[in-house]
Amino acid sequence: MTVPDTTFENLRLELRRGCLTLAVLAQLRQEHYGYTLRKDLAQRGLEIDESTLYPLLRRLESQGLLVSEWREEEKRNKRFYRLSPDGEQMLRQLLEEWRSLNASIDRIL
Amino acid sequence: MELIERYLQAVKKYLPWKRQDDILAELRANMESQLEDKEATLGRVLTQGELEDWLRALGSPMMVASRYQPQRSLIGPALFPVYLYVLRIAVLWAIVIYTVVNAVVILFATTGAPSVIDAVLRLPGVLITVAAWVTLTFAAFEFVRERFPEKCPPIDGISGRPWSPSSLPPLEKNEDGFGKPRRYAYAVAEVVFGFIFLVWLLLIPRHPFLLFGPGMVYMTSGPFELSPIWWTFFWWCVAVNVVQLAWRSINLLRGNWQVRSRVEHLVTKACGLIPLGVVLLARDSAYILLRNPAVEGARYGATLDTINKSVHWGLMATCVLVVAQLVWDLGLMLTQTYRKRAAASH
Repeated sequence: MTVPDTTFENLRLELRRGCLTLAVLAQLRQEHYGYTLRKDLAQRGLEIDESTLYPLLRRLESQGLLVSEWREEEKRNKRFYRLSPDGEQMLRQLLEEWRSLNASIDRIL
Repeated sequence: MELIERYLQAVKKYLPWKRQDDILAELRANMESQLEDKEATLGRVLTQGELEDWLRALGSPMMVASRYQPQRSLIGPALFPVYLYVLRIAVLWAIVIYTVVNAVVILFATTGAPSVIDAVLRLPGVLITVAAWVTLTFAAFEFVRERFPEKCPPIDGISGRPWSPSSLPPLEKNEDGFGKPRRYAYAVAEVVFGFIFLVWLLLIPRHPFLLFGPGMVYMTSGPFELSPIWWTFFWWCVAVNVVQLAWRSINLLRGNWQVRSRVEHLVTKACGLIPLGVVLLARDSAYILLRNPAVEGARYGATLDTINKSVHWGLMATCVLVVAQLVWDLGLMLTQTYRKRAAASH
C-alpha cells in the first residue's frame, strides 16, 4: 500500500497546529499587531500564513487568552494584541506540557 | 490599491455579519503594512502582476473569510455515531413497513404486476424522505445542543454524563454461532429479500402465473390438476417463511445479526420438514389428480400412477436428506456443547 502524497502534509499541519498557538501566545508577551507579529515569528523561523494567523488571534481573544485595542500608529489605525492574565497562566501551563512532551519524545527517540 | 479594495470587498461578503467591519478594518491595516514593507524593499510601487500574485498567495476571498467562521457541522462528531445508528434503524423499519403495507395493498388489488413495479419504483423516494427527516431532526438537536447545552438532556458517554462500563450490554452468545460472521448489509438484504419472497408467495393464490409461468396454460387446460394437499403444503411453506423472517427481523433489531444462531438454523430446518411431512401423508400418494377421471381414467391412469409414485419417492428422498442433515447438525451442536462444558469443568 502506497501512502498518499497528502498524508505527510496533513500530519505536518496537525503537528504544527498546537505549536503555532503556543508560539503566538509566547510572542504576545509583548504587544504586537497582526503583521508585525507575523514578521517576528517568521524571523524566528516560524512562517505562518496570514489566513491562519489573523483568525487565530481572534479565536484566542474570544477565549479570553488575549486582549486587544485599536490604536493609531504611523498614521494608521491598527489592532494591537497582548496576553491577558488568563493567557499568561495558560502559556505557563502549555509550556510545561510542551517541555514534558519534548522530553518524552527525546527519550523515545 | 483599487485591487486591494476589490479583494477586501469580496472577503466582506463571506464574513460573519456581526463582526465584518471590525475584521475588515484589521485585515486592511495588516495588508497595507505588508504592502508598504514590500514596496520599501523593492524601492518602487508593485506592478499589477506582482499585486495579483501577492493577493493570489493570500488566498481566495472565500477561503480567507471562511477562517473567521466558527467551525460548524450539521451533526457534530459527538452525535454522529448515534445519528448513523438511528438512520440505519429508521431506514430498515421504513423498508419493512413499506413492504408489508404494499404487500397487503397489492394482495387485495387486482392490478397485479404493475402495482408491484410501481411500489418498487416508489421505494427510493420513501427512503430518501425518511433519511431526510432523521437528518433534519438530528441537525435541529445539534443546533439546540450547541446553543443551549444546559437545556438538553445528557447523553450517556457523550455530553459529560458519567458513563459506567457495567452498563455495557452482555457479551453476544457467539458460542451458538453458525457459519462466518456476516456483514450488516447482508443481514438487512436477507430480511428485505425475505419480505419480497413472502409477498411473491402470497401473490401466488391470486396470480398462479407467478409460479407456473407459461405452464399455467397446461395447468388449466390439460388432463391433470393439482391435489388440494398442495394448498396445505403451500400455506405451511408460508407459515415457515413467516417464522423465519420474524426471527431474522428480531435478530436484526436486537443487533444479533453478526453470527447466525445454530439454534435458529436447526429450528428453520426442522420447520421445513413440516410441509414435506404434510405432503407425504397425502392419502394414496395422490399428488396429481385427473380433471375428469371418468372420461380420461383409461387413457391417463397409468401415467398418473407413474407421476404420483415419482413425486412420492422424490419427496421421500428430499425428506431423508433433510432429516440426515438435521441429525448431523444436531449432533455437531451437542458435541460442541459437551466439549465446552467439559472444558469449563476442568
